[in-house]
Amino acid sequence: MSTSSDDTILLGAVAYDPRVVTIWEGIRDHFQQEGASMDFILFSNYERQVDALMRGHIDIAWNTPLAHVRVQRRTEGRSRSLGMRDSDRDFRARVVVRRDAGISTLTDLHGRTLAVGSRDSTQARILPLYFLEQAGVDLARVKLLPFDTDVGRHGDTGTSELAVLQALREGVADAGTVGDLVWVTEQAAGRIDTALIDTLWATPPFDHCMFDALPTIDEGKVARFQKALFAMNWENPAHRRLLELEGLKQWMPPREAGYASLRAALDRQGLW
Amino acid sequence: MSTPANAAVAIDGGELALGGGLLALVRPALDLLAPGGVLAIRSRNAGLRDDLPAWCRVEHHDYFGVERDADGADRHLVARGGLGLPAGRREAGFALAPSAEGERFTAATVLSAVPFPERADPHSGFAPRGARVEPGGPRYPFTLTERDRLAPPEVAQLYDQAVAAHWDAARDIPWAKIPRLPRALEAAVAQVMTFLAENELSALYVPARFVPQIHPAYAEVAMFLATQLADEARHIDAFLKRARAGGAGVGISAATTSHSLLTLLEARDFTEASFLLSVLGEGTFLDLLSFIEKHAPDEATLELARRARRDEARHVHFGLAHLRHALAHDPSLPARFEAVVRERAARIPQKAVPAHVQDALTVLAAGDVTPSAIARGHEAFRGLLETMREGRVKRLENAGLDREQAERLSELHTPNFM
Repeated sequence: MSTSSDDTILLGAVAYDPRVVTIWEGIRDHFQQEGASMDFILFSNYERQVDALMRGHIDIAWNTPLAHVRVQRRTEGRSRSLGMRDSDRDFRARVVVRRDAGISTLTDLHGRTLAVGSRDSTQARILPLYFLEQAGVDLARVKLLPFDTDVGRHGDTGTSELAVLQALREGVADAGTVGDLVWVTEQAAGRIDTALIDTLWATPPFDHCMFDALPTIDEGKVARFQKALFAMNWENPAHRRLLELEGLKQWMPPREAGYASLRAALDRQGLW
Repeated sequence: MSTPANAAVAIDGGELALGGGLLALVRPALDLLAPGGVLAIRSRNAGLRDDLPAWCRVEHHDYFGVERDADGADRHLVARGGLGLPAGRREAGFALAPSAEGERFTAATVLSAVPFPERADPHSGFAPRGARVEPGGPRYPFTLTERDRLAPPEVAQLYDQAVAAHWDAARDIPWAKIPRLPRALEAAVAQVMTFLAENELSALYVPARFVPQIHPAYAEVAMFLATQLADEARHIDAFLKRARAGGAGVGISAATTSHSLLTLLEARDFTEASFLLSVLGEGTFLDLLSFIEKHAPDEATLELARRARRDEARHVHFGLAHLRHALAHDPSLPARFEAVVRERAARIPQKAVPAHVQDALTVLAAGDVTPSAIARGHEAFRGLLETMREGRVKRLENAGLDREQAERLSELHTPNFM
């Protein structure tokens, strides 16, 4: 099945922030210069975007890990993975604690309040809870304080993670779960009071976003897409602006090993 | 994990957390290293074992792992990544400050130690000359990016002189020493002051238009122009104060002046504008200010003409230096100048000095309105025109034009003087 009548690659992305328009208009211009015709369609949530991909309305979807594994499941593992950001590899989630909460081991979380991010955020909710359970924490004995601030965006905005950190700061939670990107960049920007908040634990690594396509995508489109994408270069000012907005320094080839834990977590939590 | 045998740089982070200040030690230490160079970070903060690798991943440094020192402290090894390296050589190895007490620390000293580059990159933005510039900055709309078209070597000295010579129009002019002059003479002074102020307003606006075009690598040029703008501001202030100080008030603005100054304001090229404004216009004004100084009927007028002339001489000096420098590198300039002057002459319909200005200068030089005094004043005015013509030709020759060309251009110069 051909998804569009001409050579234009139709890409779907979720508009989790106004800058998404800037990013994809810039990348579209870059693709044009590389001789690859590309246009984009913005969705308000990943569920709608995955549906559009499945129906063939778009060629490629820029997907969160949750959307990625769902596409793989719906295509019975035959979907094509086309690329990811350097920053999508070896992601970890953190359990951070208030230093005055007296939490020094994972099981100290029993009976305490744990702030967590959006219910569809891989890094701030699904995987940290899964890994905590694997590490012996009985979640039934932990009081969860959820921040469902950007449901449908799979945690892209980071707002639920910032809310988790704010809850710790204000003392309404004893501990919280955040992705390490937010944790490290908030620290590097000087916005964390390390006298107040500390890391308790880092989860095992997992991978994040992925460009997904149906198995039926035209091979020419795949080749043009990957060639133009991987030609983006951090040292090029026009590219760098876009890469910085999208939160990466380099586009990387796809790899699949980093999504096994998410599949297991979705099984365990019944979130498919 | 391939662990490098030796770290080139080592720091001790104590118990600092990544977000607790440690990066203020790590980032400058990494900056000392070339890509691949290894930094050892001693730490007693266990959180770093997770946070440092995560930070390295975000920043594209290579994290080689952690070892335990003999005393139990962690020793993390990080190799500097290759992304985002600032361009340019580290400015180090010289300390410029003067050694002797009271010695001036001049911009010229700095310029000779950190000379202008031949060309400047618009992507370096407002980075000061000598700064190492991270890649990926946006392109700035600076259009004056070549040393030879912009920045004569003596500009820093002229800037130093200008800063040292600043005066205060509120304080430094003997305003209380303006006597009650005969009405016609006071009116003449006020008219001359009006004319000077109008022309100086254009001399404030014209260079100001070029400042944002100057690449900051040649900041001394922009800085000199800033002193020039401050000079013009002071002159406008002082001239208008003098026009009002004796009771006659501000006089008439002539259409000739307006036509002439618009052509200056519309000049698009910095070198052409500098030629028209500083060399031809302000050069001619030097002779006008000398004339006013010579015939000043009161001490305030004399003092402000003298001070303004000294400032203008600096502007002319810069204009000439700029021109000589540009001419040496662009042999097509004399022909362009001639075209510009001809085009300008064609746009100014009047061919004589504005009548009110002519009359005011005549009365000023006469010092009185008796026919015999006016006859002397008239002669003086004619003499001024001749002095101006000779001065222009001399300055143009001085700038590097040949005699014939200098005379042609002088002849075509605006009857408005500026």
